[in-house]
Amino acid sequence: MSTSKASEAELGRIDLFRSENPDSVRLDEVKEYLTGLFPSVSVRILPFVFSRVDRSTEDKISAELARARMKNPDVVEQAFEPMYGEIEYERRTIAGKARVGGVVYDGRKMGSILTRLLESGHSFETASIMFTDRLVSTYSHDDLRHHLRTVVFGFPCIISLPGVVEAPAKSREYHVLKQQLEMEGAGELALVRLRNALKDEFIDYDDPRTIEVLKGLSLQAVMFHLTLDPFCEDRDCRLFNAHWQTDLIRSQISAGRLCKRHTKLISALSAKPVLRW
Amino acid sequence: MPIFEKSSERSVTRAIISEFAKDMENFANTDVIVIGGGPSGLVAARDLALKGVKVLIVERNNYLGGGFWIGGFLMNTITVRAPAQKLLDEIGVKYRQFEKGLYVTPGPLACSKLIAAACEAGVSILNMTSFDDVVLREKNRVSGAVINWTPVALLPRQISCVDPIALESKIVIDATGHDATVVKKLEERGLIKTPGFGAMWIEKSEDAVVEHSGFAHPGLIVIGMAVSTTFGLPRMGPTFGSMLLSGRKGAEVAYEHLKGK
Repeated sequence: MSTSKASEAELGRIDLFRSENPDSVRLDEVKEYLTGLFPSVSVRILPFVFSRVDRSTEDKISAELARARMKNPDVVEQAFEPMYGEIEYERRTIAGKARVGGVVYDGRKMGSILTRLLESGHSFETASIMFTDRLVSTYSHDDLRHHLRTVVFGFPCIISLPGVVEAPAKSREYHVLKQQLEMEGAGELALVRLRNALKDEFIDYDDPRTIEVLKGLSLQAVMFHLTLDPFCEDRDCRLFNAHWQTDLIRSQISAGRLCKRHTKLISALSAKPVLRW
Repeated sequence: MPIFEKSSERSVTRAIISEFAKDMENFANTDVIVIGGGPSGLVAARDLALKGVKVLIVERNNYLGGGFWIGGFLMNTITVRAPAQKLLDEIGVKYRQFEKGLYVTPGPLACSKLIAAACEAGVSILNMTSFDDVVLREKNRVSGAVINWTPVALLPRQISCVDPIALESKIVIDATGHDATVVKKLEERGLIKTPGFGAMWIEKSEDAVVEHSGFAHPGLIVIGMAVSTTFGLPRMGPTFGSMLLSGRKGAEVAYEHLKGK
């Protein structure tokens, strides 16, 4: 981040960085959505940010990523020496030789790695949004544990694609039935049937509705950059901070619009996208 | 006229001892030792043997196959997600599509065919043999396995004080399932620190097991459910596709390493 002051900065560009798997999401649709809301701002789609890692920094970044793993949800930040295998795995993910998934990373630590990778040439005039196929968490001081997140707000903002599926809670009915099936020792087939029966209630992997959710989350990221306040309390506004899958679907798909207050605010910001903090 | 040719007890005994002794001498120094003969271990061993690598499976039970005989709730239907069914094609296992991308087949059929495929590829097998310890060389690189007969390990020490033997290899593969026995042995020595199972429930973890299959320590590759234990990935249900593909990935990593040497 450059030394330009936030209060004087005007948003001129939004950079959308592809996730590790370039086919994970159709970013051109997100770009179109944001361009529609902020016509004066240039929106770019850039390759996965770790493509900036070269041989001189590969060892360091691999080790830092391995250290960014969230291993104990009850601890704010756990220091540990990563295993040889963890560093090797991260080296493969950076090189695009291994897919990511199944591991939770501390969103704050990830953010600090990404900030350093973006260091040169970035300022408050550019909002950077990183899409990732990794799961990310942040610690909540409300209940003193880490929680999976869809978005980790910061500079840059990180949007976790599997987080859209895993972070907002599924309905109680789903969990009760699933637990029941597991206690009965039911196999994978029974769980597949359960997911199919309740599929309208949550966003699943490879769900065509995901793109609509990502548009709203990207807008939240831009609003964080502009105002530090990305959320709305209205359940029918795309800026609603959904903790439940049903709320996520309601705010981003069923309603799929902005509330009156945010329509007005975004219209004002669109005319003059100056940072308000 | 009798059905069988005439033979003596001493000939039978000599045949067993001489062939086994020849095998044991051969096992003393192999390219790869796979600890655990479940689905991932069998696939890894078969793939390596097909490429001409000298490979030995050490299995603590009398039978091979691990949990591959049976699916969830003791029901012997095995489920496999695409693209792992391609491996079933390779070994001639028939299956049917349950729904798009999900295939089912009888466990006994899949398991017995996989064992046969590994044996036919030239994999050597020591069953009823337990892993006891690792052989360590310079910079604590894993360079072999210390083994003993399983019955010895099961008997009280005072009546079974039989010393183990050591086998050398270029690579050891831990395919011991959730126990991750080889990795745990390194942990006992303070050479590795595993995080335990994933602390958060994540529904999709099959890819993670496959992608983490590889070196966990110099000289030691982990595959199958041992990957979950070693890297703290979420515990999975009976998802055999990832076991099969994890074994394949481990073999690829091992082969690349051997080729580079």
